[in-house]
Amino acid sequence: MNVAKGMILGKEVLQSLLLPLAALTLWFGLSVTGLVPGYLLPSPPTVLHSGIGYIFGTPGDGPYAGRFAGDLAASLVRVLLGFAIAAGLGIPLGICSGRLALVNRLVGHSIGGLRAVPGICWLPLALIWFGIGIKTTVFLVALAAFFPIYQNALTGSRLVAPIYYQAGAMLGVSRLRGIFAILLPMAMPNIITGLRLGMGISWAYLVLGELTGVPDGLGAVIMDARMLGQTDIILVGIILIAVIGRFCDRLLVAALRLCFKSARRPR
Amino acid sequence: MTTTTHGEMVTANRPAILEITGLSHHFVHDGAIVPVLRELELTVRGGELVCLIGRSGCGKSTLLKIVAGFLAPTAGRCRLDGRPIQRPGPDRGVVFQEDALFPWLTVRENIGFGLSGRQWPRRQRQQEVDRILELVGLQNYGGYLPQALSGGMKQRVALARVLIRSPRLLLMDEPFGALDAQAREEMQELLLDLVRRRRQTILFVTHDVQEAVIIADRVLVLERDGGRIREELTIDLARPRDRSDRQFQACCSQLRQWLRT
Repeated sequence: MNVAKGMILGKEVLQSLLLPLAALTLWFGLSVTGLVPGYLLPSPPTVLHSGIGYIFGTPGDGPYAGRFAGDLAASLVRVLLGFAIAAGLGIPLGICSGRLALVNRLVGHSIGGLRAVPGICWLPLALIWFGIGIKTTVFLVALAAFFPIYQNALTGSRLVAPIYYQAGAMLGVSRLRGIFAILLPMAMPNIITGLRLGMGISWAYLVLGELTGVPDGLGAVIMDARMLGQTDIILVGIILIAVIGRFCDRLLVAALRLCFKSARRPR
Repeated sequence: MTTTTHGEMVTANRPAILEITGLSHHFVHDGAIVPVLRELELTVRGGELVCLIGRSGCGKSTLLKIVAGFLAPTAGRCRLDGRPIQRPGPDRGVVFQEDALFPWLTVRENIGFGLSGRQWPRRQRQQEVDRILELVGLQNYGGYLPQALSGGMKQRVALARVLIRSPRLLLMDEPFGALDAQAREEMQELLLDLVRRRRQTILFVTHDVQEAVIIADRVLVLERDGGRIREELTIDLARPRDRSDRQFQACCSQLRQWLRT
């Protein structure tokens, strides 16, 4: 019984690792055979070595040695701050727009219009307004993450069938309490989708914000490495952002499941 | 119909709980006024199980929504224990036709939901939930989520979450319409058991003539599209009622004929 379970689990883990392993093999093949020169695509061992130096090395050993902890902290603060602002505005505003026709008329067109503007267009304006540094990055992250969070909260609150409010009213739930007792739990699957999309986009815009010349952060390292021609460090940065982004996503889902019944129970 | 020795006739002497007079309602659809109810009169007495039957679109669900307080009528009076009905209240409970359980709450939590406004100690609340769970025969399913339940069990929970609030009047809108024949009969028995034990007053909407004759003390037939009560039939048959009984079938054919014309 347990062996069979273990076999199934092993099979599933193997399946989920199949694509990354294939990509790694292809990468190996390309660099070992010399089809792609090292300055364009460093070999996996080189990147691994640079990565270890970047993460665990002592500062001073090399241009990037041991910088990881500081860069990670700087980037995490920016991402989480921007994401928190986006969620704090996006969820309430999305729900109000979904439930109240007046609010939707007031803000619907404006938000829809702003959403049509590519996030990168805000970069010059943000630089003028906030200068180079944390404020610009947080602004860009918050702006970009806001739209999916807002849109999904709006859709989720609209999808709640009136019968649930009637059931609530019949069971003694006031309109105000209904927001927390009925609307939010019912809309939770959509809200989670919005938050996850928002978290993903936060990392994308973090890099954009950090490309502008801030001294620290994962995006800054990538940009810095490009100017010094250190492709290996660029790859290290990309891989680290992928891993940390994925980790943040799982952490977000786990935290929501921990806090809300409506997030952890299947429907 | 002949009077039996069962004692159902006693309800005729009880005071009225629900009194509806001159109730009219219309919807506005594409700028045109669509009348649904016209000067409808209706009384439900304490402990009575009244069935409302009619074809689809005759306004029976609208009537129930007005009594529940979900919908304000265009004109007329609707009183419960002498007080006008204006909004949903603790004196009325509704069992909907479709599944309206809260999907993120377990059976226990769904049933206890209606008690959350009351400042009861936790233990008392749990005991009350246990009592109601047993009443509807779900004592082994308290920890289940609605998605894991069959249609019949879901409607048991829907009934239980309303019963726990001890409403004066129970409103049921084709609650067993989506169930298979077996589950429907079980639910009808459960409902009758409830009426016997708790003397629960019920206004029950259905389009199933047999169901009406099985459970009702009195059946009201709504006009096809006139929006008022066309006929009324008191069912004096002893319980449990036998579907193959001649009188039972006579009641059914009488109602069917009224529904047709």
